[in-house]
Amino acid sequence: MLRFGTRRLLTSLITLFLVMVSSFFLSHVVPNNPALVFVGPQARQDEVARVTKQLGLDQPLVVQFWDYLKGLFAGDWGTSIATKQPVLHEILNRLPATLELLLAAMVTAGVVGTVLGVIAARHVGSPLDAVIRILSIGGVCLPTFWLGLLLQVVASHGGSPVLGRNSVNLQFLNPITHLTGFNTVDAALTGNWPAFVDTAQHLVLPALTLAAYPLGLVARMTRARMIEILEQDHTNYARIAGLSERTVVWRLALRNALPTTVTVSGLSLAYSLTGTFFVEVIFNWPGIGQFATDALLNSDYPAILGITLLGALGYLAINLAVDLVNARLDPRVRAS
Amino acid sequence: MIPLPPGTAETAGQTEAGDERAPDTFELPRPHAAFLPTRTRRVIATLRGDVLVIGGGLIVLAVIVTAIFAPWLAPYPGQGRGAVDVAHRGLAPSSAHWFGTDQLGRDILSRVIFGARPALVISVVVVVAAVVIGVALGSLAGYLGGWIDEILMRLTDVFLAFPPLLLTMIVAALLGPSLQHAVIALVISWWPWYARLVRTAAQSIRQRPYVEAARVSGAPTRRILRRHILRNSLNPVIVQATVDFGTVILAAGALAFLGLGAQPPTADWGLMVADGRTTVTTQWWIATFPGLAIFAIVLGANLLGDGLQNLLNPRAVRR
Amino acid sequence: MIAKFIAARVRPDVSERQKEEHMLKTHRRRDARHVLALGAAAALMVTMAACGSSAGGSGPSGGSASGQASADQKPPASAILDVAAADAVTTWDPIKSFSTEVAYIANIYEPLLYAESANADGEVTFKPALATSWSHSDDGRTWTFKLRSGVTFHDGEALDSSAVKASLEAAAKDGGASFIWADLDTIAAPDPSTVVITMKHAQPVDLIASSEYGAYIVAPNALAADQKDPKYFEKGIDAGTGPYTLASYTAGKQIVLKKYPQYWGGWSGPHYDMINISVTSEAIVQQQQLQSGQAQLADSIPLENVNGFKDSFNVYANPSTFSYVGFFNTLRPPLDDPKVRQALSYAVPYDDIVTVGASGFGTQSHGAVPAGIFPYSDQVTQYHQDLAKAKDLLAAAGHPGGGFTLNLTYAAENQSEARFAPLIKDAFAKVGVTVNLKGILFNQQWAQAKSDPKNAQDMFLLLYWPTYSDAGSDNLHSLFHSATPPYFNLSYWNDETYDSLVDKALDLTQTDRSQAEDLYTQAQQRLVDQAPGLFFYDQKAVLVTAKSVQGFEYNINYPFVTFYYPLHP
Repeated sequence: MLRFGTRRLLTSLITLFLVMVSSFFLSHVVPNNPALVFVGPQARQDEVARVTKQLGLDQPLVVQFWDYLKGLFAGDWGTSIATKQPVLHEILNRLPATLELLLAAMVTAGVVGTVLGVIAARHVGSPLDAVIRILSIGGVCLPTFWLGLLLQVVASHGGSPVLGRNSVNLQFLNPITHLTGFNTVDAALTGNWPAFVDTAQHLVLPALTLAAYPLGLVARMTRARMIEILEQDHTNYARIAGLSERTVVWRLALRNALPTTVTVSGLSLAYSLTGTFFVEVIFNWPGIGQFATDALLNSDYPAILGITLLGALGYLAINLAVDLVNARLDPRVRAS
Repeated sequence: MIPLPPGTAETAGQTEAGDERAPDTFELPRPHAAFLPTRTRRVIATLRGDVLVIGGGLIVLAVIVTAIFAPWLAPYPGQGRGAVDVAHRGLAPSSAHWFGTDQLGRDILSRVIFGARPALVISVVVVVAAVVIGVALGSLAGYLGGWIDEILMRLTDVFLAFPPLLLTMIVAALLGPSLQHAVIALVISWWPWYARLVRTAAQSIRQRPYVEAARVSGAPTRRILRRHILRNSLNPVIVQATVDFGTVILAAGALAFLGLGAQPPTADWGLMVADGRTTVTTQWWIATFPGLAIFAIVLGANLLGDGLQNLLNPRAVRR
Repeated sequence: MIAKFIAARVRPDVSERQKEEHMLKTHRRRDARHVLALGAAAALMVTMAACGSSAGGSGPSGGSASGQASADQKPPASAILDVAAADAVTTWDPIKSFSTEVAYIANIYEPLLYAESANADGEVTFKPALATSWSHSDDGRTWTFKLRSGVTFHDGEALDSSAVKASLEAAAKDGGASFIWADLDTIAAPDPSTVVITMKHAQPVDLIASSEYGAYIVAPNALAADQKDPKYFEKGIDAGTGPYTLASYTAGKQIVLKKYPQYWGGWSGPHYDMINISVTSEAIVQQQQLQSGQAQLADSIPLENVNGFKDSFNVYANPSTFSYVGFFNTLRPPLDDPKVRQALSYAVPYDDIVTVGASGFGTQSHGAVPAGIFPYSDQVTQYHQDLAKAKDLLAAAGHPGGGFTLNLTYAAENQSEARFAPLIKDAFAKVGVTVNLKGILFNQQWAQAKSDPKNAQDMFLLLYWPTYSDAGSDNLHSLFHSATPPYFNLSYWNDETYDSLVDKALDLTQTDRSQAEDLYTQAQQRLVDQAPGLFFYDQKAVLVTAKSVQGFEYNINYPFVTFYYPLHP
């Protein structure tokens, strides 16, 4: 187990390094002097030269990369060209918003998806099963950017908030004391109920939009796995032994199916990282996704590199975690 | 917008998490001839049993037909190609314009019909290119093993270390927004999935007795690759390619939505959704129908992929 | 007066480098504007109402808020104005600022004078700001300003002549718009309330001192700190004398301005105590904020939706100095032939472009000068779509039935251009000319146009506005006067007749305004006849506020600024 873990970690680190190398060079082959953008409207020739030097852009690419790497280890992820703020600072500032959104979506998807999957598996072949299958396939196939718009149209008719993380004037009326950075959690912990209601209302639509994909996936996978388990011998023994069908399904079979569910949830969490880009743009959610799309559209290289690094880190971490969980569950993996 | 990543089609998905364990748990396609007789029966059984698969197939077929015969199907073919009619802009759905008209007075039904063309071309080009590159490299790596395998797999690791679509967006943004660049970006980020898929299959097939036998009897590598490895590792690829047919359209639409894909006045579904975004509360039809088209084709491809999975994978039939 | 002022930019004593800088700045600024998704809804943001009681209701939070106990710490709800603004902040440095952030900076800092809306002749008048009176010597070189007494900066320092001297010298040396002071000789501070500005030549210093950029007076301590640390202001520090102070800034998201209690103008009348600005360039987001009551003032809602707001909101549509022009690449065949350019000018569907691009908030241009500013003339003829004539001209030029292809570039961030560019493609197709549309970021569009003109685009769409209220020296000179290398002359046109008309008019503007106007009109007519460019439409500046927001004043001299001080619930 330990050896497997170490090996996996090493591979991940090598991969991460290669990711950084490739994205760094990819972002620097484009003939464009970031210093020009950086100094902005007050660009004087001498200032451009100064900033070019300050950003190290006059150095050979390899040296630049080495400096970038050194910076990374020192916690310096470069400075965003567009916002002039340190990239790491921007990312950390926005991380709680994105995590809150992701978490809300994943919990929704995990719980609802599992329940739907189990129900479908119990009634395999029935109309109910068909409905759930259509729903789950539909969830996977819905374009996130389109679903978000549709939900906005519907919600705007009902008068519920469709934009932002909270009402604009919340900070004046019911300022949230920040403990975790998750607005809803912080509001609840400090007993700030008006703020809780406000932030929760703002969270619903984006979280639902983001949840559609993982929800569909979890329901599909859980259903498939449950059908398999329910047909297996040990399940039948339990039935013969006189356990009620409810106990068999929700206790025994589900427990065996849960690892699959967890794996799928983990993987689709990683997939949802990109989903946040669209959800955050459509719902004006002040998270990393918005920062990332802005960076992409404005060719803000340091920010793009930071996003890449963060995305790769998060993705590798999730994959590594899933692999380790699997290895725990299945000795054969370790052996191979 | 997240493309359904290759390998998440039910059974295949469980093997993607870590290729280390794949040889043991992968749903191995049996040698070709071994299940031919049952296959026919299975096709019939599956088709009869599953309305969804037939529905999926019909959707995909409909899109293909629509794309081919767009000029004859569209009520206003000129507008499908981009001609404008400013006097009739922003009209709600009516008998003259079933889906309404957009801000330039173009008939949305015609635009949606013509939109099938770029969608189809993009997805076919991307999927074919990704399959060709992925299968070639994957089967080589899986069969030859050793350092070639190691290098290729580390290479795919790098590509797969990005959350889906992030790499695509980065490449598309760096190249500059255009349809061609979006296609290049999609191929770049898509082929590694196939390489992994085929490599995993090839690796396990390589150890099958009949392949061992062929190798021992002196059959040339190329023939073994072609006859045994390729042919037998193609099933998961076919299933995945079918699903991806829709997923690529979804991804291309997402790129266009952000302004990184097709450019106006192309009748591109993602672009049309983006176009309608500013007026979605007052002119809902502009964004709704093209989005519906994307949803339909992705759904169709997924259903069809499911059906193929059941057909080609003996164990899945029971589900 | 204005002419000489502008002439400073083209005088020999303005170095080539400065000219280049100016162009770069102007382009950067424009670039920034392009990002604003909406074409020209330039920068007005006005005020709106009270958060709690605003039109449209502020959603559930408004109601729940009243239940909160700690109301005593909160400012009265009626004093907050929530604004949705598109303008990005590239710097908080009032000296270096030369971009969209002036929308906020102009509410924090003040110049010596304010320019007031131009009169019918396009002549600008002035009103006192930090200076209460001013006069100039007969030769127009020496200007004496008497400063207002009792003014303090936000950091507590008192305004005196040395502060003015230091600020203006910094603006002339390091300013984003330093070129406006290019002719500066000396600034003297003979006593604490008197400033004497001496120029090398006769200059309209009143106009320069009221500039939207490069003329703000900054507290001496902050200025000194900024000299040491160029990033000093970026921490969100403000050191102005204006009615509002910068209370907080969240990069790219939110700006909160609070009233400065010691403001010399006083707070006795109705005003907003706090301006809560959410920065968003997404037009649709602004619209939704306005509709949900989260904002009471929005500067860039989608133009096509503006009419829907007329009933329950205040909609202001004022003439602006923004206009859409197109350039033909006059160095590349077949566009080097004026007949072809005329033919294409006849093929453009102007009315449809105004309808689609501006959603009606625009009027077809008469040449390159927007209506409302000098030297606009409605005598300059307009093209109207006439496909038969276009075909005839094409045939006469040796291109019967068209048969050639043109590459057209536009800024993808600019919604209006993205909307109307397909109309040009469609119309040109009708005369047999194929157009390839290329929507790219303005940066890239610009870079491409600056490469070898022979390989550059065939057509270039541009949203343009003059830096000052003189479009003769700016639009007519910058856009079409020959220049090597070209700055904004992206048609690469070189026409001696036009050049000499414009040059002569420039020199005459100060001494013989009507003759200058005459010459400019002739030049514009030449422009239209030779058709190196297309003149689409003049854009209106559109601002939408809740009904409760009163007191909005539009000032065409500060196209990026909404002044919050006159606004009230």
